[in-house]
Amino acid sequence: MLTVRGLTKTYATADGSFQALKGIDFEIPQGGFYTLLGESGCGKSTTLRCVAGLEEPDGGSISIGGHVVADAERGAQVPAFERDIGLVFQSYAIWPHMDVFANVAYPLRVQRPRVAAVEIKARVMDALRLVGMGDFANRQATKLSGGQQQRVAFARALVRRPKLLLLDEPLSNLDAKLREQMRFELQELISRTRVTTLYVTHDQSEALAMSDTVAVMASGRIVQSGSPREVYGRPANRTVASFLGSANFIRGKVIETRDGLAAVALDGGASTIHIPSRATFSQGAPVDVIFRPEDATTRLDPVDGTIECIVDRVVFQGGMSECQLRLGSTPLRTVVHPSVGAQPGDRAWITIQAERCLLFAAN
Amino acid sequence: MAIQVDEAAPVVPAVRRKRRGQLGLAGGIAIVGAAIAALYLVMAPLLALLATAFRGPSDLLPFEPGAHWTFDNVVDVYLHTPLLSTVLPNTAIFVLGSVVVTFFTAFTLAWLIERTDLPWRTTIFTAILFPLLVPGVVMAFAWTLLFAPNAGWVNVALRSVLGLDSPGPINIFSMGGLILCQGAASVPFVFLLLGAAMRTMNPALEEASSASGAKPLTTFLRVTLPVLRPGVLAPLILATLVALEQFEMPLIIGFPARINVFSTRLYFDLNPEDELPAYGKAAAVALLFLAAAVVLLIVYNHLIRRAERFVTVTGKGYRPTRYALGRWRAPALAFVGLYLAAGAILPTIVLVWTSFSGGSSDGMSFDAYRMLLADRRFWPAVANTFAVAGLSAGIITLVGALLAWQILRLRFPGRRLLDVVSFMSIGIPAVITGFAVMVLHLTLPIGLYGTIWILVLAYSYRLAVSTRLSRASLIQIHPELEEASFASGGRWLDTVGRVVLPLLGPSLLASFLLLFIVGFREFTIPMILQSEDNWVLSVIMWKLQADRQTAQAAAVGTLILVFVTPVIFVLRRYLLSRQGET
Repeated sequence: MLTVRGLTKTYATADGSFQALKGIDFEIPQGGFYTLLGESGCGKSTTLRCVAGLEEPDGGSISIGGHVVADAERGAQVPAFERDIGLVFQSYAIWPHMDVFANVAYPLRVQRPRVAAVEIKARVMDALRLVGMGDFANRQATKLSGGQQQRVAFARALVRRPKLLLLDEPLSNLDAKLREQMRFELQELISRTRVTTLYVTHDQSEALAMSDTVAVMASGRIVQSGSPREVYGRPANRTVASFLGSANFIRGKVIETRDGLAAVALDGGASTIHIPSRATFSQGAPVDVIFRPEDATTRLDPVDGTIECIVDRVVFQGGMSECQLRLGSTPLRTVVHPSVGAQPGDRAWITIQAERCLLFAAN
Repeated sequence: MAIQVDEAAPVVPAVRRKRRGQLGLAGGIAIVGAAIAALYLVMAPLLALLATAFRGPSDLLPFEPGAHWTFDNVVDVYLHTPLLSTVLPNTAIFVLGSVVVTFFTAFTLAWLIERTDLPWRTTIFTAILFPLLVPGVVMAFAWTLLFAPNAGWVNVALRSVLGLDSPGPINIFSMGGLILCQGAASVPFVFLLLGAAMRTMNPALEEASSASGAKPLTTFLRVTLPVLRPGVLAPLILATLVALEQFEMPLIIGFPARINVFSTRLYFDLNPEDELPAYGKAAAVALLFLAAAVVLLIVYNHLIRRAERFVTVTGKGYRPTRYALGRWRAPALAFVGLYLAAGAILPTIVLVWTSFSGGSSDGMSFDAYRMLLADRRFWPAVANTFAVAGLSAGIITLVGALLAWQILRLRFPGRRLLDVVSFMSIGIPAVITGFAVMVLHLTLPIGLYGTIWILVLAYSYRLAVSTRLSRASLIQIHPELEEASFASGGRWLDTVGRVVLPLLGPSLLASFLLLFIVGFREFTIPMILQSEDNWVLSVIMWKLQADRQTAQAAAVGTLILVFVTPVIFVLRRYLLSRQGET
């Protein structure tokens, strides 16, 4: 449905140039939900804007539904208004001088050949009902809450039944509770309309919860892509691991590798841990052991085979508490039940689920 | 008169620039057209002027047969005429003196209205706007009726009270009189700018000072003034530019006193008593003052950038605390009263009275109006005034908005040049523009000279008003609002017509109104470019006045006041709604 090949984009800046995209390749199948995830400045929004036709790529090509819309080599660039897309902006970009109906009707009103007024009315009302704003057609755009603007923006993006829906951080301007609610509504809406979607966000929980495929971007490249479980469970490198969810890093040395298990001596303690590893490491090689907070259990009494740490702080977070620990000088985070009442300076013992650990050569 | 716009821009997301790909043919034509128009309206006349200064002999147009490149004009003007010994010092004294008067008055008025509990603030605010709208030539005429040494009303009254002999005691036809008149005439717009700066100041800065134990006077000196400094200096520079280009007061008040300043000198070089116009010499004179204006502009530009960074604008909903005037209330009211009497009330009364009485005591009559209406020049002048003001305001608003859009939203080489060109127009003295447009159109083989169209073109150089206003509101229009239109399938014309223009609407209207007023008041340009076919009301009034048809001149002045008065109330509503007062 959407094919992006070798996309590059460089901006001229005051002091030289900045390469925003360094060769982006991906594909979204018909009806797929594809997420570009990354920190601000990683190039995810630039990619989306190239797909929308709001930026012109310096290299590479883009095709939507089999039609080439941008091909830098041939100097072809179809302007945004001739691409069959729906776009929801981070700011929603609801026109303040129009009411809700006029906002949503706009894509149909500027369409050539003209769409009959009766049909416009019917389709706009359909779209508004789809997003639960059927009763607000005559409301002034300036008299809408954030969530309502959000819905109007979706209705406007969907009203001409585009081949491709582009969402640029659509939830990031909402408060936490509304964001969660809108996330479910949005998922529901997209699965009902079965529209192919390209979603851009910096919020990993959105990316993991909604997507068929997540692509993690960093400094102009896609670092890893795959299903949310794959990317979360098997991050390709430290960057991905630390960006997707919180992760603990413990430096260690490989003692030996045998039968797909690497025995690693952890720094700052006397413990050894056996981690499944497809790669072979030479003996004594420095490595990073990575595990997620939820993959370790924390106790306040010693048990055999546990690792002894010092408690820095326990942060109560409602349903659970985050336990901040130190192993030697390495900070660690684990999750504990809120009833656990450890004090700073207490000793604590953690058990790491070795089969959920990842092993990377230290750099 | 130069008008400028409140520069304080809100904090906005970084503006993304788009490539030209979205434009399409119609958009391309509109954009390129606007750029060419800007160059033609501002740059072409200046280049013609530059050429004129270095082409001789002086009484030939620069590209007439027989003209050649030469330094004669420059050498002549700067070494063999009283330019440096008389005109330059006179201009400097006039400009500096009037700026001091303007500034002292405007700052006091602005502070009283914005920051104290002075009574009747809204009414006073309205009345202060009066000289802003009334053409300077009308004000100058009214003041000569009031303060002329022999027959001036105020002098007659003072003599009878004090038992003095004629003439005097006040002589308006002096450097002091000229300075006071010009100073008073420039007060309203400096007052508006200073008021805006005071209004946008964050009151928490002063409250923090009080909370730290500072007395009100200490707070004023150590916090209020330093914080306001950039917002105060920028209007000061602007007032200097305005004084530099002034022509009305020097012509009507300065000329009888034999005080020659730069603008009148230029005018008389072009309209000598019994010689040919000295184009080359006039251009050489103009260069010096153009250079001075450019220097002031650079300083001004620097200052407004600083002001933007400096003055903290908080959101809506706050109301700065007002100082209680206490026993200073009466002196404050007396000061305001004195200004309003001299700037609005007495000029109105003297004009209306003179138009009915003919300045004599033979009783009242409509004679002056009857003669005026019978004058075959009158109705064409009325039509010309409105046509030229309306057309030029329309052209500037349109071209300026398109310029602002492309400067902010597009990336192309030469964008910076367009920005500079449109900004420059704030500072170019009207007398230079008039002269430059004259030379350009006497040279170009287009038959515009002597028609009202040349006035339309010449008036239309004030692009900065419109580009600044449009830019200020474009900056507040998030680019995503336009991109949403493109992404919805809208073409450039759809986007401009349905999204950009409606959102810009209020500021376009403001720009049009402002420029219409400027065009309506204009006197310098139509004086320089005048012919029998393009007289406007202000020029007619001056001619009547110069021909000693005092009653008829007063009748024209009265009619202008009748037109201007409702505009004051429109303007007041607009300004007050912007400042969120009731």
